[in-house]
Amino acid sequence: MSKQDHILTVEVVDQDGSTFTLREICERGECHAEFVIKLVDYGIIAPLEDYPEARQWEFDVAALSRLRKAQRLQRDLKVNLPGLAMSLELLDEVEEMRREVARLNNRIRQLMGE
Amino acid sequence: MDFKDYYAVLGVSESASAEEIKKAYRKLARKYHPDVSKEEDADTKFKDVGEAYEVLKDPEKRAEYDQLRKYGARADGSFEPPPGWQSGSGFGGGGYTEADARQFSDFFEEIFGGGRRGGFSGGFGGGGFRQNMKMRGEDVHARIALFLEEAFHGCEKQVSFAVHEADEHGRVIPRQKTLKVKIPAGMREGQHIRLKGQGSPGVGGAEPGDLFIEVEFAPHPHFSVEGRDVMVTVPIAPWEAALGATVTVPTVGSKVNVKVPKGSTSGRKLRLKGKGFPGKHPGDQIVILQITMPEKHSAEAEKLYEQLAEAEKNFNPRSKLHV
Repeated sequence: MSKQDHILTVEVVDQDGSTFTLREICERGECHAEFVIKLVDYGIIAPLEDYPEARQWEFDVAALSRLRKAQRLQRDLKVNLPGLAMSLELLDEVEEMRREVARLNNRIRQLMGE
Repeated sequence: MDFKDYYAVLGVSESASAEEIKKAYRKLARKYHPDVSKEEDADTKFKDVGEAYEVLKDPEKRAEYDQLRKYGARADGSFEPPPGWQSGSGFGGGGYTEADARQFSDFFEEIFGGGRRGGFSGGFGGGGFRQNMKMRGEDVHARIALFLEEAFHGCEKQVSFAVHEADEHGRVIPRQKTLKVKIPAGMREGQHIRLKGQGSPGVGGAEPGDLFIEVEFAPHPHFSVEGRDVMVTVPIAPWEAALGATVTVPTVGSKVNVKVPKGSTSGRKLRLKGKGFPGKHPGDQIVILQITMPEKHSAEAEKLYEQLAEAEKNFNPRSKLHV
């Protein structure tokens, strides 16, 4: 193992409430504020508190990674905003169902004593 | 270098029309998009499909590729471009997506690589990086799968991910980075951890991006997780259910003794307070009882069952089925 392998301490983002302002999420997402505002309008991402002024918005990491996902889908599949909103919702649903199926399969295996 | 059959990648024939190629590409891009597909090698497939389309959608590149395909491919599947080969079309960016161009294969680079450098760095302020340009490094988003025990007790994990950095020519190239990370106890699925400054390096002395890692759980043979609670199905014998008993139950990484109340039925849930996910508000462990029969009974036990059947003859376990 090389030098860079010393152990790094991490920050659990969702626990200590570290958030991004509109400006920060734009910087990290490499996009314009208008794009973020549109994503919020379409309900694709949401600020933690629904302030009327976009300047007051704070976003969590989950919103940032959803923003990145939205950008990739828009760029690669040429999806427009309503299409993005719908496909992300469906993808969430699929993900939740996959988890549920895994949970239920696990339960069935246990009940069958396998 | 292996020859890449772009027609096979898109699943179209050599004589496919531009329209057919576009259709095939769109379908496969949707199918293998890494944000959509759960297939293990979706990422690679998606890149291959993008690369194939990048070449086949452009009549000039396609003609060049067809020529190479005819003369450059060897019988053993390897490939060497003919001596003196130079692409006339080059790769000028603005095609597929510039961000993905850096992901294209060596094969692509060898054939169409000529114009790629200029074309690509053009995306960053024209003609490569200027000395005075400052740009914060890219954040990197990665995922890590933890075993339940690891998430519960915390662990050290090695994570590998790709960062993008500029080489001496100002060309942006991916570099594999590996870090050893200490994961704190009590992380749950969907939570993120951040490693400040471990993303892609900044340009012109700007600060580097961060690394964000989302936690997911590998399936466990006995336990499942719902929120902060841990569920486990525990088999008990019919007499333990009928008479009550103290049974040993596994918890994540340990075990506890649990009192099964007299007259328990299959599916009854027992809540073990605070034995779920650790943290400020620890979760519970939920034990689901499951009455299990021995595979064979002794003659003596059978006799006892006969007595039991006589004593309980008014019990109809199928009353809910109206039979």
